[in-house]
Amino acid sequence: MSQTRTIMIECLRYDPEQDQAPHYRTYEVPFTDEMSVLEGLQYIKDHLDGSLTFRWSCRMAICGSCGCMVNHQPILSCQSFLRDYYPARIRVEPLEHFPIVKDLVIDQSDFLGKLESVTPYLVPAQPLTPEDGPNLQTPRQIEDYLGYAQCINCLLCYAACPQYGLNNAFTGPAALALLARYNADSRDAGQKTRMEVVNAEEGVWGCTLVGLCSEVCPKHVDPARAINRNKINSTQDYFLRFLAPFGRGS
Amino acid sequence: MTPAPKTYVRPMNRWWMRHPAYRRYLLREGTSVMVAAYALFLLAGMVCLVLGETAFNLWRGFLQSPVSVIFHLAALAAFAFHAWTWFKVMPLTTPPLRFRGRPVPDRMIFRAALWAWGIASLVLLVLAMRFL
Ligand code: SF4
Ligand code: FES
Repeated sequence: MSQTRTIMIECLRYDPEQDQAPHYRTYEVPFTDEMSVLEGLQYIKDHLDGSLTFRWSCRMAICGSCGCMVNHQPILSCQSFLRDYYPARIRVEPLEHFPIVKDLVIDQSDFLGKLESVTPYLVPAQPLTPEDGPNLQTPRQIEDYLGYAQCINCLLCYAACPQYGLNNAFTGPAALALLARYNADSRDAGQKTRMEVVNAEEGVWGCTLVGLCSEVCPKHVDPARAINRNKINSTQDYFLRFLAPFGRGS
Repeated sequence: MTPAPKTYVRPMNRWWMRHPAYRRYLLREGTSVMVAAYALFLLAGMVCLVLGETAFNLWRGFLQSPVSVIFHLAALAAFAFHAWTWFKVMPLTTPPLRFRGRPVPDRMIFRAALWAWGIASLVLLVLAMRFL
């Protein structure tokens, strides 16, 4: 067992029933080398202040619910260790650019709406039944989308994106990466339905390539790449519509 | 249905202070102002050329002034930074590239762009020395 040290954790607090605006409270938290930021928060809740509210579930960087800001950097609190910040104090805040419900809990309903808007499921060219058998893919076809399919909807990328913060009509990194994930899947034929989202001002063109989303993504989804590659498709689509105004449906 | 909870939305003022990546981004975009300024400067030269010899000589005379030298040095620095950072993000904007069935790594694209930039500059320099 490693030795115990003490770190100062400054935490944003907001109680919608009492507070007009958030404030900060600092806690002295004893920690050992193997303790994550999440465990630090749990220590506060168990021993210092039971009213501190935050989300978590898996403790192993897979459920995507424990995201927060530590010193202005979006992180998964279960995947970041207190020892890496010590001896400096840390400031823990809810994910940037989302409305705060209470303390570290944010309202992610805006993202959920956006996720729905990108048709995040396979749209087969013809309706399939179990009798049609498995829908086979080559390893190369899987490789085309597998990276984008790793998203755990943790929203760190939205907290990293100033364009989303300045204008939350922007569809944003994770939703656009998932859009690219389904478009890149050989079993999918839904590209046309998704094109409207891609082409919109709030679609890929809302991105100015700040690029921090890809840096903070714990699953290396690389949303900045997904979005900027779709700018090529969007441009092609734009010109093709001029060339064949009657040939492409609407 | 329960009413929606009262939430707090934080303001975005001074957002660029929050992360060094934001300041790097603003610097990258900011240098494009200098790129535009230089393009306008060249355009002014073209206009002078069309206007006649006196105008063009006036423009060429201005090129020798200290103000112009400082402007050109600043423009060179801004161009270099802009090109460098642009090449850095270029792999994100290219369609998926493959060579012999394997994806081309980002640093190869970055290096290829640097080489192309270097060679193009060299060719231009040689041509300029030859004909001017
Ligand atoms: S793209 Fe990455 S950072 Fe964004 S929600 Fe998905 S896993 Fe999280
Ligand atoms: S608790 Fe599940 S990702 Fe951190």
